[in-house]
Amino acid sequence: MSSVVLSHISKHYGAVKALDDVSLSIADGELVALLGPSGCGKTTLLRSIAGLEKPDGGVVQIGGTDMTHVPARKRPIGMVFQSYVLFPNMTIRDNVGFPLKMRGDSKQAIRARADELLELMGLAQQGDRYPNQVSGGQQQRAALARALAANPSVLLLDEPLSALDALVRTRLRDEIRRIQQLVKITAVYVTHDQGEAMAIADRVAVMNAGKIEQLAAPAQIYDDPSTRFAAGFVGNRNILELRADGGMARLGKAFAVQAPAGSSTVAAFFRPEDVVVSMTGEDQQAMVENKMFQGLLTRLYLVVEADGTTTRIYADLPSRQAEQFTQGSTVNVRVAAADVRVFPAD
Amino acid sequence: MVQLAGKIGRWAFLLLVLLYFAIPMIAVLFYSFSGRWTSNVLPDIWTTSHWGEAFADERLRAAFVRTVLMAFAVLILDVLIVVPAVYWQRVRNPRIRILAELSAAIPFVLPFIIIAFGILKFTGRIAPEMLGTPWIILFGHAAIAFPFLYWAVDGAMSAAHVVRLNEAAMTCGASPFQILRHVVIPNITAGLAAGGMLVFATSFGEFALVQILAGARFENVSLYSLDLLNNTTSQVEKLAVLTIVMFLVLFAISIGVVYVNRNRVSLAVPGGRAMAAEKDL
Amino acid sequence: MASEGATLQSTTGTPTPTGQSRSVMDRIGGGLAAWLPALPLLILSLLFLVLPTIELVVHSFNSNPTNLRFWTAEFWQGWTLEYWIDTLQSKGSVRAVVTSVRLGVICALISLVIGGPLAWIVSRMFTGKRSVWLSLLNVSANFGGIGLAFAYMATLGTFGMLTLIIQNTGLNFVPPEIGSFTSLVMAYEYTNVPLFVLLTLPAMAIVRGEWLEAAETCSANRWQFWRYIGLPVLSPFLAAGCLLIFTWTIGIYGLAYALGRTASTTGELRMITLQIGLTLNTGAGKEERAYVLAVILLIMACASLLAYRWMLRRALRWFN
Repeated sequence: MSSVVLSHISKHYGAVKALDDVSLSIADGELVALLGPSGCGKTTLLRSIAGLEKPDGGVVQIGGTDMTHVPARKRPIGMVFQSYVLFPNMTIRDNVGFPLKMRGDSKQAIRARADELLELMGLAQQGDRYPNQVSGGQQQRAALARALAANPSVLLLDEPLSALDALVRTRLRDEIRRIQQLVKITAVYVTHDQGEAMAIADRVAVMNAGKIEQLAAPAQIYDDPSTRFAAGFVGNRNILELRADGGMARLGKAFAVQAPAGSSTVAAFFRPEDVVVSMTGEDQQAMVENKMFQGLLTRLYLVVEADGTTTRIYADLPSRQAEQFTQGSTVNVRVAAADVRVFPAD
Repeated sequence: MVQLAGKIGRWAFLLLVLLYFAIPMIAVLFYSFSGRWTSNVLPDIWTTSHWGEAFADERLRAAFVRTVLMAFAVLILDVLIVVPAVYWQRVRNPRIRILAELSAAIPFVLPFIIIAFGILKFTGRIAPEMLGTPWIILFGHAAIAFPFLYWAVDGAMSAAHVVRLNEAAMTCGASPFQILRHVVIPNITAGLAAGGMLVFATSFGEFALVQILAGARFENVSLYSLDLLNNTTSQVEKLAVLTIVMFLVLFAISIGVVYVNRNRVSLAVPGGRAMAAEKDL
Repeated sequence: MASEGATLQSTTGTPTPTGQSRSVMDRIGGGLAAWLPALPLLILSLLFLVLPTIELVVHSFNSNPTNLRFWTAEFWQGWTLEYWIDTLQSKGSVRAVVTSVRLGVICALISLVIGGPLAWIVSRMFTGKRSVWLSLLNVSANFGGIGLAFAYMATLGTFGMLTLIIQNTGLNFVPPEIGSFTSLVMAYEYTNVPLFVLLTLPAMAIVRGEWLEAAETCSANRWQFWRYIGLPVLSPFLAAGCLLIFTWTIGIYGLAYALGRTASTTGELRMITLQIGLTLNTGAGKEERAYVLAVILLIMACASLLAYRWMLRRALRWFN
């Protein structure tokens, strides 16, 4: 049973297509992350679910009911905004209880529910403070509590972590996921941070130019990007522009892959951890230009001279293994054809 | 339905406000061009002759020149005394600020008529020969107008990080006067311009001090306007011309202030600076 | 601020050789250097703001004020409440105070009722339309004094343009008499409303559009938004604006003089500023009462400004 169903949603701002015939269904209790660069339409899509944006065309269903023309305040949603947007004149507790007050609950019921949520968020001590008296992370927890207060069917999160600093961000991210699974609520999570999307979501929708490019589980998005955009946006990858000769694209003797039919140049993507580096071998020769220790992994910057062109790639190796490759030395590199994705270059 | 009603209500409200602001100005404008205006909505006969007559009026010209010169003198005096004081309070002696801010609060709180009354009594006791001279108007206007310059210059110096600039300039071997001349002033021109224009406008449109302290012995535009208003109706068209000229000068100044404040219109009114500044904290 | 000043003093102050106390001359020189650039400003404000104000206050309490020689016994024997009692017993003076306060309160309230919504609407306009309105408000805020008095007469005088327009529609319209309370309120509001709008615009900007959206996702309708969020946040700012308008209104002189001079000489209109102005200009009325009225005005203005500052601090307590 699908909890949120979007069918053929379109939205234009003047000549700009913010959403171009987007369809998406989200299962009950599922968390879907909308991932993409700024201006890709992810926030517009979220706001269309919330009812804060009126799509030009298409249908928004929540829990099987057509909500397309229902105003935001009558939709069964809770929303967390990028910049918290707590009401500054209310205490944290009053903020959390506000949706219940609007619904007309009794004072005791509001208080009990608000305290329960504050407890859940680890804010029990902060209930009587005003938003400007607590930290950014605490404000965002309170905003999450407020969004959940009225037991909505869908939780909408609009880049909820981007105003916070790095340390708080990971902790709160994991907590959002924990709570979402605890209360088993359907959630839509907008972010431009792929790590965040991968970590938190059941499925990730990679968006670009008002369209969903790929919708899949995080691991699949990572391992098997289905479009050139998804490949470029997700994960750090080597991106090479290669000529296709006789239907094959190759980087010297490092790899040779089947080029898509009819394209003379291709974009080849492969991940740095898929580059196999050895001291000797019969594959492609490369020179270690630079070496950067990154803890568990060490990154090697390699210069490949092949077919009369100079190409720079990088490889991530376990640091132990990387010790033997010194700066300036010549090494042997190889990439398995199965690890290289090729797409027509425009 | 509700939204439509709200929209119509808002339009009606804005229209009424617009009329309220526009009609008096239009009325004055029409008066300045009316040859005869009896009981019709518009003047019966239109003419431009009042503008020529007004500018030919010796007394009006003298009053205008007097007003403008006085405003410039006040501006120069205030710049000369305020800029060094603000600079010094920032880089050397922060205790100056306590006294200066207290002084700046006085013209902001006290009506000018009260200040005029006080100056009249105080000066009348210690230096009665000053009364009726342009000097007392000069000093009085400089005293009531300086807060505008003070706040603007202080804000500009804060924004320009004058304390840091001063330290850098001192390590280059510059004297305080050289620093002020070559480093500080070039960096606070926007604040100087905004504050200076408000000082000019304050003196230009001032009425209470001039009336109480000098009266007919220093007839400025405000006093002359009052005289025209009190006199018989034949002078009304000239007064219309004078009102428009006065108004255009003050309006041009306020546009200038808004421009140098980067469109923060609120800063053009005295309390607005306080409100806007405290909000930024 | 204070810490910044302190560090600066230590870096810029004349270094003193250790073990050698600074001579008296050095100390005086250093003290003078610390104040010298500010002296002209401080002396000007002392002579033309501080001492004149003190003069008025002392005069209102001292019956021997011809020469404020405070080192003489006569001066100290001169303290009295006689002028205050006399003034407060004078019907005219009391009426002047009451009218001034009433005018201030009514003008502040009208500014709030018209200027508040106007400020909100203007703050939500798009840039182009907004600058047109801001210029218009700026224009009106700059219109004052004698010119405005004339504009009022040209509009709502016996032969004013608006009077004629209304009469030409066939209505039997008689405009409020020049110098009447109503005429003063209408003329005052011409600058008060735009001032109020310009004063409260920065505050309007702190009500973010996102709050409306957040309230909407919490199932609040527009009315509930204003009731629970918009007004509680804005009301201290609006109150502060009202207090400033009150302070200014009770002190307006030029416009009041131009419109109300005649009514004031006949005794129909009594206002603090006009009473003082008439006493000084024509010698009519007791001068002692003018002192007391001036001090009353001073006290009201100070109280109002202190209330304004307190209100502003209250308004900002949720935003720091």
